[in-house]
Amino acid sequence: MKALVLDGSREGDPLTPVAVRGMTSALAGRADAVELVKLREVAVAPCTGCFGCWTRTPGECVIEDGARDLLRSYVGSDIVAYVTPVTFGGYSSQLKKLLDRFIPVLDPRFTIVKGEVHHLLRYPRYPKTIGLGTLPSPDPEAERLFAALVSRNGLNVHQTVPADVLVGVTDPESAMRSAARLLDRAGVAA
Amino acid sequence: MNAYLLTGSPKGRRSASFLLGSILAEGLRARGAAVVEGMLHGELRSEEGTGRVLDAVDASDLVVLSFPLYVDSLPAPLTHLLERIAERRALAPRPGAPRLAVVVQCGFPEAHQCDTAVGICRLFAERTDMRWAGALAMGMGGSLGGDLRKLPGGGKNILDALDMASKSLADGGDIPGDAVTRFAKPLMPRWLYLLFGNLGWRMQMRKNKASRPMSYRPYSRG
Repeated sequence: MKALVLDGSREGDPLTPVAVRGMTSALAGRADAVELVKLREVAVAPCTGCFGCWTRTPGECVIEDGARDLLRSYVGSDIVAYVTPVTFGGYSSQLKKLLDRFIPVLDPRFTIVKGEVHHLLRYPRYPKTIGLGTLPSPDPEAERLFAALVSRNGLNVHQTVPADVLVGVTDPESAMRSAARLLDRAGVAA
Repeated sequence: MNAYLLTGSPKGRRSASFLLGSILAEGLRARGAAVVEGMLHGELRSEEGTGRVLDAVDASDLVVLSFPLYVDSLPAPLTHLLERIAERRALAPRPGAPRLAVVVQCGFPEAHQCDTAVGICRLFAERTDMRWAGALAMGMGGSLGGDLRKLPGGGKNILDALDMASKSLADGGDIPGDAVTRFAKPLMPRWLYLLFGNLGWRMQMRKNKASRPMSYRPYSRG
C-alpha cells in the first residue's frame, strides 16, 4: 500500500510540521511506502480555469510544472492525507494551489451524487483521502467548516472522507495517536 | 463611500466573476460610491501588485470579492490573499473595520455548493476585524455569458439581486435576504443545464481538436 502525505504548512507554522510527523509515523505501520511532499517547496502555478485538462488534453493539465508528478502520484496512491493549517475553516493556500490543479482526475461530464450534481469519475478507483488540520487554539466554527470542506471534497470523488483537527498539539506522539485514529476511521488497516 | 471590487477569477475581465461584480459596482457608483476595481491573479504575480491589493483593502470602506468556486472553496490565489490580509491586520491593526461582501458562482446547478466558500469568507471577516456584509451565491455559472439579459427570464433574478445588494451596501447595510434568494434561483431546470453542459464539453473538445477521448486515463495504475 502506498501513501501520499501532502504537507500544506506555511513558512513559520509551528504546528503543521508536528501533524505531518504524526501522520507519517501513523502511516509507517500501515503503508509499504510513504511519500511526503512539502508543498511550499514545489512550484505549482495557479489553475487558470481554461478547462484544457478536460477539453484539450483530457486527463492532463496543460501547464507543465510540479502538479503533474503529484497528480500521477495521487492516482497511484492508496491513501492520501491532506495536512494543513486550518485557514478560516479552509485549507492553506499551499495545499489549495495543488487541489485546484487536481480536477483532471475527474471526467467533465456531470452525474448525480447524493442528490446533487458532481462530475463523473475518470479512474476506476481513487485513493482513500483524509484531512488533518491544525489550529493554535480551539475554534469550533473553523473546525466545523474544515470538516464540511473535507467532506465536500470527498463527494467530488464519490467518497466519504473523514477529517480531524489538532488543536495546539506540539507533541509528535499525540499527533501520531490522533492521526492513527483518523486512519482507523478511514478504514486504513493497521 | 470607497469600495474595492476584487475579481478572483484567473480569467479576469473575461470572467463571469467580473461580469457579476462589475454590475454590482455600477450599482454602487450610481448610488454615489467611488469604486476601484482590481484583478487578483495579475496583481499577485508580483510583490508590488500584492502590496497594491493590500493597500486598496486598507483604503476601502467596503471590499467585494467576486470569484468562481474552485474545489468547494476559494481559488488558491484568493486564499493566499486572505492569509496576507490577516497577517497584515494582525501585525498592525487598521483603524476602522471595512465591510466584506462576496459574489460567488459555481458550475454546478446548486447554489448551496458555494456554502463552504461563503463560510470561509465570513469566518475570515470575523477573525480579521472586518464586518461581514453577506454573500450572493449562485449555481449554473457555466451559463453566464456577455449579456445577462439573454439568459432565460432575461437574467431578471440576477440583475434584481445585484441591484438590491448594491442599494443596501451603498446605504451601509448588508446584502438583503431577498437578494440572496433571488440570486440563488436556478436559471433553468437541472436536467436542461446538464444536457447543455454535457453537450458543451463535447463541443469544446471538437473546437480544441482534442487528441484523446474525454475519458482518457494518462495516469492509470500499472
